[in-house]
Amino acid sequence: METFVQSIVSGLLTGSLYAMIGVGLTVIFGVMRIINMAHGDMVMFGMYGAFLSITFLKIDPFLSILIWIPLAFFIGVFIYRFLLKKIVPAGELNTLLYTAGLSLFIANLVLLIATGDYRTIKLKYAIMPLRPFGISVPIPLAIAFGMAILITIALYWFLVRTDTGRAIRATSQEPEAAALMGVNVDRTAIITFALGTALACSAGVLLAPSLYLYPTVGEILVAKCFVIVVLGGLGSVPGAIAGGVLLGVVESLGAVYVSVPYKDAIGFVIFLLVLLFRPSGLFGVGKS
Amino acid sequence: MRKIVIVLAILLLFAAPWIVSAPFFIHLMIMVLMWTVLGASWNILGGFTGQVSFGHATFLGAGAYTTMILYLKLGIAPWYGIPIGGLVAALIALPIGFICFRLRGPYFALSTLAVAEIIRLVALNWESFTNGPVGLLITTLPEVTFGGKSIDWENKIPFYYIIAVIALAAIVATYIMSRTRLGAYSLAIREDIDSAEAIGINTVQTRVAALSLSAFFAGVAGGFYAMYFRYIDPDAVFSIALSVEMVFIAVVGGLTTVAGPLIGAIVLVTFGETFRQIFLVGHLIFYGLMMMIVIRYLPEGIWGKLRLWFVTRH
Repeated sequence: METFVQSIVSGLLTGSLYAMIGVGLTVIFGVMRIINMAHGDMVMFGMYGAFLSITFLKIDPFLSILIWIPLAFFIGVFIYRFLLKKIVPAGELNTLLYTAGLSLFIANLVLLIATGDYRTIKLKYAIMPLRPFGISVPIPLAIAFGMAILITIALYWFLVRTDTGRAIRATSQEPEAAALMGVNVDRTAIITFALGTALACSAGVLLAPSLYLYPTVGEILVAKCFVIVVLGGLGSVPGAIAGGVLLGVVESLGAVYVSVPYKDAIGFVIFLLVLLFRPSGLFGVGKS
Repeated sequence: MRKIVIVLAILLLFAAPWIVSAPFFIHLMIMVLMWTVLGASWNILGGFTGQVSFGHATFLGAGAYTTMILYLKLGIAPWYGIPIGGLVAALIALPIGFICFRLRGPYFALSTLAVAEIIRLVALNWESFTNGPVGLLITTLPEVTFGGKSIDWENKIPFYYIIAVIALAAIVATYIMSRTRLGAYSLAIREDIDSAEAIGINTVQTRVAALSLSAFFAGVAGGFYAMYFRYIDPDAVFSIALSVEMVFIAVVGGLTTVAGPLIGAIVLVTFGETFRQIFLVGHLIFYGLMMMIVIRYLPEGIWGKLRLWFVTRH
């Protein structure tokens, strides 16, 4: 019983961060129909950002998120405005290939600069895990969990309550109708892409103290990310949140009750089953 | 004119080791030809039927492991193992095709990525069969006499001729495909799958056939990979990066063209291997850059564009 609760808790903690990455990918897909293969590399950016902050600037990684969110937003604006904008009308497959190229370019650029060495971030206050009710909770993951929830709530509020958020949701539902209602679709696309990038990057900052850092980490993360958004239905924000948490819990239960080496495969198997039998996602809200 | 160029190119292909014999150059040409086979393999599916697969490493890995395991456990020499590896890859492609082709466009691409990851994880963990992450190693290749002389496997030239023959076969197969019904059906599917279905083409069967043919060549290239490097492990032959590299070579060279994969491999692999010699890491940076440039400015690929230019000029 204790192992069960323990694995549910660990799953929820990781799942909250998966959810953040997934939400980023899904809003981008919803508005622009881009399957962004470089999304994982934005997470990697955030992880290296956290590493740079603590090694060179001596800023706590969790605090450094205040620098990296706006920076990632501008990187997102730049990528969309100068690299992606002309490609998007060429169709989903071309953007898929283009962002795959972008992903390889970014990962290898970082590989050249930072080398392929595995790096870790050590926090002085995070040597021992917290132990509420006999359950072990690593401190960095607990802080990351709290911040992920705050960021997700802020995002939700933004999407539901602000005009820009409404414009994003409207464009996601029906771009032409949104344009006819006076939504500046082009501006909305830039903001959405930048927002998605900022989410991925801040998830990277939060994940950094709990994972190993290496330049091609994005490859694995982006694959997980697809699992998450397909589980929840592509284009659906609540779906991506649920999908992220679900994947986190399934992985951690799988590691305990199935086998550690196959825990990553479980996600992919579920992914295939959902794609084949419920292409609109487990909750039936996404668009296929 | 065209025939003369083709004959000259084939002569050059077989005479190349005599013209330049530096070991690095021979290695480079072997890599270019191996990637030509892989690019051609991807092109048979991706170029003709328009189905973007991000999981072709599965077939490369299946071929590599088949060749290696047949040799290590049953003593079957790699020259039988390589074609058998291709057949095994083609067989594995059948169930994968029937499952994944229920999906379209980007969803198909994502499903192939997932299948490839599942198979990589299985290869990594099925230790009794694949030896897991430790990988498989051949120390010596069996002795073969050719024209009365024993072939020296420490020399790269025999490998060059083996891969040259395979690459030629892959290119000829692409040419034949472009001339047959399978090719025509595939192109119809690429242009508009619903219309193809409406005029009576069995789109699932056609795509599975193209995938299987494509997988055969990837498997053969995998078998060659195992024999040439004499060492394989799951992360070397089943990685996402390999699948992505195949896509890039086919797209950069020119989709649906016969010579495109060769041109793509010459451009990307030459640069990549040279870059690797100098910087050791990050040689794929140029692949990413070229992909972005090609999609943005040359959607028909380098060879596709050149060919268009020749056609309009003459």
